[in-house]
Amino acid sequence: MTSRSLNWTHLVACLLVGVTAVLLSFGALVTTYEAAMAVPDWPATYGHNMFLFPWAEWLYGPWDLFLEHGHRLLGAAAGMVTLVLAAVSWRSDIRPAVRWLALAAVGLVILQGALGGARVLLDDKTIAKVHACTGPLFFAVAVAIATLSRRPAAAAAGSLARLPVALLVAAYLQLVAGAQLRHLDATVDPSTFHTLVGLHILGAVAVTVLSVVSAVVVSENGSPAARGWSRGIVVLVAVQMLLGAGAWMANWGLPSGLLPESWQWSEPLRARSLGNAAVVTGHVVLGMLILAATVVLAIEAGAIGGAQAGREAGDGLASGRVFA
Amino acid sequence: MHRQDSPMKVSTNQAGILLALVVAVCAGCGTTPPASFRANLVEATKQRLTPDQERQVATILLAMFGTPDDPVALPETGLDEAKLKLCAGPVRSDIVGRKNGLYREHCAHCHGISGDGMGPTAAFLNPYPRDYRPGVFKFKSTERADKPTHGDLVRILHNGIPGTSMPSFALLSAVQVEALVEYVKYLSIRGETELALVRQYFELDDDAQGKLPETREFLVDEVLTPIAERWNGAADARIAVPEMPADIDMMASIAKGRELFYGDKANCVKCHGVTALGDGQANDYDDWNKAIVEWRKEVGGDKDSDWVSKANRVLAGDALRPRTIPPRNLRHGIYRGGRRPLDLYYRIHAGINGAPMPAAKGTVDPQDIWHIVNYIRSLPYEFDGELGVDRPMVAKDRF
Ligand code: HEC
Ligand code: HEC
Repeated sequence: MTSRSLNWTHLVACLLVGVTAVLLSFGALVTTYEAAMAVPDWPATYGHNMFLFPWAEWLYGPWDLFLEHGHRLLGAAAGMVTLVLAAVSWRSDIRPAVRWLALAAVGLVILQGALGGARVLLDDKTIAKVHACTGPLFFAVAVAIATLSRRPAAAAAGSLARLPVALLVAAYLQLVAGAQLRHLDATVDPSTFHTLVGLHILGAVAVTVLSVVSAVVVSENGSPAARGWSRGIVVLVAVQMLLGAGAWMANWGLPSGLLPESWQWSEPLRARSLGNAAVVTGHVVLGMLILAATVVLAIEAGAIGGAQAGREAGDGLASGRVFA
Repeated sequence: MHRQDSPMKVSTNQAGILLALVVAVCAGCGTTPPASFRANLVEATKQRLTPDQERQVATILLAMFGTPDDPVALPETGLDEAKLKLCAGPVRSDIVGRKNGLYREHCAHCHGISGDGMGPTAAFLNPYPRDYRPGVFKFKSTERADKPTHGDLVRILHNGIPGTSMPSFALLSAVQVEALVEYVKYLSIRGETELALVRQYFELDDDAQGKLPETREFLVDEVLTPIAERWNGAADARIAVPEMPADIDMMASIAKGRELFYGDKANCVKCHGVTALGDGQANDYDDWNKAIVEWRKEVGGDKDSDWVSKANRVLAGDALRPRTIPPRNLRHGIYRGGRRPLDLYYRIHAGINGAPMPAAKGTVDPQDIWHIVNYIRSLPYEFDGELGVDRPMVAKDRF
């Protein structure tokens, strides 16, 4: 049978990563356009069952409604794919790491859906922040499952593994700090905002340093795949810095006082321009992609699931019949 | 049939809602409290109001103006409450995409919920976002001390303020811009009323026992109406601008303008510098910052230690670090109040309200102001060979 040779867990996990990437991008756009309250009820959409809400009204209606309802549909899709993934992995995949991660994904996706609902029902910005932090966590788990289920894990590389894990944690915390800036409550006082900006900049420095050091260390004694990923991350982080600076300037212009006056733009900033939205949203989405890449790197470098999976799966993995 | 499936649908919905609420509670987040206006503690402390008096001001303002979620506009203000409602409250939109909470969506992170110029991002911006509460605006078509017209504010929102972080809102619909302008006026009138009330305690006689009368005559007729009238009469205070002669000899006009610029009467050189790079007298503050600088000095010299410690707390939490406002570098050709010749005419005629830039009105005659305008407009190109009327003077058109 062909299903013997097909790695279903991996396929479904890849589908989940794809759906989640689009889902998170929609989520980021919802925040950029402040469209979260474009649909006042939940889980229904304007009284309709979410799945039965008229397509035409969704696709051709107001932009905010398109984003928010689309985000909900994608969320539901991600939820269903997650359930399938859990079922498939528990039926066919013998590696405990994959199974438990799939179960964790189910828990996270339910939690995340409920948080999204609570954010709307209570119109609460604090919950919005939590919702924004759980999203990337779920994405990271999906990416971990996809990577771990792909092929036999490498043996752990000992101390080498610690750096990529530190990088992963830093990349996540950086998203948490970013979410605080994005979901800025207008009642917050300037000094709190000042602190948040400081943390986010500190986080940027930490991620940059860790990504460079990881790349250097991995290139000396990591696998070819790990080497590739670690270098890719450095490039992504560099682009991310530019996008971050762009996001600042899109919102607040050139940091006056730091730059010569002659650099000032003769044109004013434009609120709600497509370019601004693209830069700001792109910064968020790239942050999540960087997190995903650090997850892959940590696995490739043997930090997560490696030693354990290698030991337990043993010969089965080597003979390629694990996925039957 | 219908009867049978609708309870089912409701119950899945309810289960979802219940789950969402349980999660919300578990996440440990009590709901964010409803937004409220922040009291003008700088002025209240400056006027040495007691806590009771501060509370009285808050109560009166609540009755007259409502809250950031639920604004009230007394008829005397001339404000349109329907427009205010579009801007007030948290951001949300309906099925046809009509957005509410516009002020919080677009302005509050800079200008603050109360319009006090102390939104979360304010400390990073230079110049600071405008504090609307004193009711002073810079870029307008009216005489120096007068309010901007409705059209002036629409223009500012449409064009933004180049060279500052104040963005252009040209991509918003006209209805939204109209509503936002109304809301700016609302916050200004509210802020001015608050200032007037706080300053009234000083005038009370002994019989009043430290309380303002809460009568309609006092609150509306005596305090609110004069403020609102100045807003509603702004259109009458527009600057009368003489036509610039169509056959004006541009070279001669620029030369004349140059002479005036460096002359004793207009004395632009004093601040904008001999090079016009804005390097003349550059250590001055605008009115908003000056108020803080001066109050700091007052606090420093005071003996009452309780009051001083309160004042220091207020200075730390309710005021931004004072910043000077440098005179503009006139060789960049970036004009915050607009780059039409007419805009420059207004700026020079009336000066910039709230900023050190003085009015030339009275000292320079109207036709001469046009000469100065022409000279100012030539400044970015002064070293660019000879300038003829046939060559456009705005950099963008030239290159
Ligand atoms: C990114 C920050 C920022 C945002 C967002 C912003 N402003 Fe401003 N705004 C400023 C700054 C800074 C100034 C002061 C410029 C100056 O003093 O030259 C200003 C000035 C103003 C002024 C005074 C103009 C004058 O003639 O004195 C008005 C009115 C105003 N803003 C309205 C708004 C409204 C309404 C919104 C929302 C639709 C808004 N602003 C959004 C930063 C901002
Ligand atoms: C007391 C100092 C002072 C004097 C005298 C003075 N200015 Fe200014 N000028 C300023 C300051 C300060 C600003 C910036 C104000 C601001 O940004 O709010 C300014 C801004 C300007 C601007 C920029 C307006 C814009 O839209 O950005 C022009 C043009 C200008 N001045 C022209 C003149 C001319 C012409 C004269 C002489 C008639 C003059 N100034 C005299 C202090 C001065």
